[in-house]
Amino acid sequence: MVLLALFLVGGGLYAATFGQNYSSVDTAQSPVFFPRIVLTLWMGLALIALVQAIRTQSDAAPVASWLRLGLLLVAAVIYTNLIGREGFFLPSVAFAAISLPIFGIRNPVAVGLYAITVPGALVLFFNYLLSMPLPVSRFTHLF
Amino acid sequence: MLSSLPDAIAILLTVEGLLVLVMGTVLGIVLGAMPGIGSTVAVAMVLPFTLTMGQAPAILLLLAVYAGSVYGGSIAAILINTPGTPQSAATCLDGYPMAQRGEAGLALGWATIASVAGGLVSAVVLIFAAPQLAAFALEFGPIETFALILLGMTCIVSVSTGSVIKGLLAGMIGIFLSTVGGDPIIGEMRFTFGQWQLFAGFNLLAVVIGVFALSEVLMRASVTLSQTSELIDFKGIVLPKFAMWKGRLKNLGKSVLIGNLIGVLPGTGAATAAFISYAEGRRSSPNGSHYGTGEPDGIVSSEAANNAVTGGALVPTMALGIPGDAITAVMLATLTLHGITPGPKLVEDNPTLIAAIFTGFFVINLLLLPLGLILSRVAAPILRVREAYMMTAIVLLCAVGVYFVRGNPFDLLVMGAAGVIGFILRRQGFPMAPLVIGMVLGPTLEITLRQGLILTDGSFAAFFVGHPIALVLGMIAVVALLFPLIRHQLAARQSRESKV
Amino acid sequence: MTVKAFSGIVASAIIATSAGAEEGFPERPINLIAPFNAGGGTDLLLRGFAPHFAEAIGGDAFVSNMAGGSGTVAASALQGQRPDGYQLGYFSITVSTIQPQIKNVPYDVDSWTPICSVAASPTLLFTNADTPYMTAADVVEAANANPGELVYGSSGPGAMTHLTTVAAFAGLGIMDKLKHLPFQGSGPAVKELTSGTIQFFGDTEILMSRGDFRPLMVFNSERLETYPDVPTATEAGIAAPLNELYLWGGLFAPAGLEPAVTAKLEAACETAVASEGFQEFAANSGTVIKFRGAEEFDAFFRQQYEANGALIEAAGL
Repeated sequence: MVLLALFLVGGGLYAATFGQNYSSVDTAQSPVFFPRIVLTLWMGLALIALVQAIRTQSDAAPVASWLRLGLLLVAAVIYTNLIGREGFFLPSVAFAAISLPIFGIRNPVAVGLYAITVPGALVLFFNYLLSMPLPVSRFTHLF
Repeated sequence: MLSSLPDAIAILLTVEGLLVLVMGTVLGIVLGAMPGIGSTVAVAMVLPFTLTMGQAPAILLLLAVYAGSVYGGSIAAILINTPGTPQSAATCLDGYPMAQRGEAGLALGWATIASVAGGLVSAVVLIFAAPQLAAFALEFGPIETFALILLGMTCIVSVSTGSVIKGLLAGMIGIFLSTVGGDPIIGEMRFTFGQWQLFAGFNLLAVVIGVFALSEVLMRASVTLSQTSELIDFKGIVLPKFAMWKGRLKNLGKSVLIGNLIGVLPGTGAATAAFISYAEGRRSSPNGSHYGTGEPDGIVSSEAANNAVTGGALVPTMALGIPGDAITAVMLATLTLHGITPGPKLVEDNPTLIAAIFTGFFVINLLLLPLGLILSRVAAPILRVREAYMMTAIVLLCAVGVYFVRGNPFDLLVMGAAGVIGFILRRQGFPMAPLVIGMVLGPTLEITLRQGLILTDGSFAAFFVGHPIALVLGMIAVVALLFPLIRHQLAARQSRESKV
Repeated sequence: MTVKAFSGIVASAIIATSAGAEEGFPERPINLIAPFNAGGGTDLLLRGFAPHFAEAIGGDAFVSNMAGGSGTVAASALQGQRPDGYQLGYFSITVSTIQPQIKNVPYDVDSWTPICSVAASPTLLFTNADTPYMTAADVVEAANANPGELVYGSSGPGAMTHLTTVAAFAGLGIMDKLKHLPFQGSGPAVKELTSGTIQFFGDTEILMSRGDFRPLMVFNSERLETYPDVPTATEAGIAAPLNELYLWGGLFAPAGLEPAVTAKLEAACETAVASEGFQEFAANSGTVIKFRGAEEFDAFFRQQYEANGALIEAAGL
């Protein structure tokens, strides 16, 4: 599955190199000359890996709990997306509040304390002590 | 320069001088040891303070933080498999398996010994042979650099734990990622699909931290929660006993040499050195066949080389005024601010300052050993926190570290995506070190190839005619690529014959 | 309460707050954005400037970095921000006038409220001291005798170093007789100039003084005090608009900044540039100071945007 997707992504990117027009006439100095070599190797290797995978049939290690993993995956992606817009502090608090229970901390006091003090300390340290501000939220320039 | 040594030592022995050396090194080790935070961010953090300092302390502070963070990077790499920089990626390959076996202290002991040895030798080389080595660096034009990078690429085979095909494929993905953005020769945009955020390409550190650190957190969320409260069995650094050094000194020496020579060449860097040294160690060390399974020699290869680069990179910086990497470029700019013009006459015009910088660099590397031992004792209890606290802190620190590399929130998105994709690929048995090699070496490989083709009017054959260094490096690259295959074939034949 | 009356109240409230904002400006720290990495030339200049600027405006100012894409990433990001005067970018000639004309970035000449210019250094064309080229005429002769033999370098396509060499060789009419070799940054290019892989490079005086190099011409209106024997580009036979080229930089806010805020920032910039501390800093770091007020800088910026079109065309970008 993953290998097939990789092969298709390689092919798609290779096809994309023909969609753009470049001013250079010289083949070797064309902007897509080097990427095309790389993508050709990419597709070839993905094909070999695909054939190997079909012939040997080995499965990845089982996931203990798809719920935990899925939650963390989604939380991590949303978290990295939100920092630019909502600042560092608020998304970090939210992420810590989700991540800690996923890794087995059930005590709400511990979760709350950690989720506020760790991001808070980072903001204090960088934004105020070092004058090297992390992104701030749209509500206030203070954090 | 040697005649100004007494004056130079007098500068170092002031309260400010000593304070800067010790504090800078401690700060560098601590910052480097934090997952997600590497040399670039550490140097950016202390930069504002250097503006108000004198010439020598300013440069020494930068150097101390730099050398300390390169060493500190090995700590996170070994203990939690989360290198904060590409140059520590090779350290993970053997360091983390050792830590998993319960030998974390010993693994860090080897890393410490190798780092200190690499740093000290490079400092001595810097003091005595900088002009000669600078002349050597000038021999390396685009074509020679291309051959060297080609040799570096063959390391992908050596660091591919598991499947070589998957390693090569990961390498190609890495090279491809590095081509996104502006074309280095023409300047036109590639694979940006009209998104201005992509004009600057994918940031190397954002991808490295994503595929190593963030995906490691996801990996740990995919297995059953560990019931033991201690995440890492680590009580402090254990220095290897002398008896264990037997048979490893040659590898250490070779790794230091590789790091030094590659460090001298501008535009190659610590990651290249670490990987080439690792591949060479795997080929020539008597313990080579154990590489990747927690072999101390693997740690030595990587750490001795990447710390030797710090001294090597100072050679062109100080002898020619040409920065060896991004960090030495910052040092040159700082010198300029203090009214000093870097260039071929730098040493001649400022003998005391340069002598102070060079001896200070030696002292910094000397300090790594005791400070590393003390800090590891202090840090050991902190590292014994529960997995949940550690993993969450890693994600937050990675976000901070990636953000400060370029100050661009888009890089955080890249880190998130790289983390998820890295996680999926790792579950499929893809090694991630080749991806990093591809991304580190890809841009230099492309630009030197095309520069070479401009110089030779489009003839690739002319690369090796009249460029003896390139020819030799090219041949080594071919041998390095074929060697594992030949060895594999021979082993297969022998096993077949023994069956008959 | 009628809708009209309500909207009247809202409108007056908005006016009141914005008027208050002008009066009390700055209420919070001002962010000076360096579009390059911490520790680079632009970043350090801005870090030297920031404390004097903060003092002059009676508030706080800090430098932040947003690197990538030859400075276009920071400019693209700033362009979309609210013009409140709290975020200012320090953009050079390339970021503000060259890059938007060669890349499909979301900003152009009308995206900004120029505040003030801070520095402007003329560029020079130079060669390694051991090459036989003493004057521009020597270069023209050699290039015509052996086309394709001589190589000039740059720190990247579209960079200031590239434009300087293009201005020189296009101005001399020998563009197609030389090869262009771009590098990733000035460091590797200067190394190849030292070792002889490339013969020519163009940059400001401070960078040229780092090596054993011989200047051939200076893209200034008059000869430099430090190099009285080096001819100007005009004297070397290069016609306008390619005869003058300055690496200038200044503060920009997004378009639509309140004139009152612009005036405050402009005044603070003037005081900061004239301050003893910054003058000393500039002398140490080899920065050539050139202050222009908001109106003058706006006109200069627009004139440069137009004029650099010729350079871009000559460079084939």
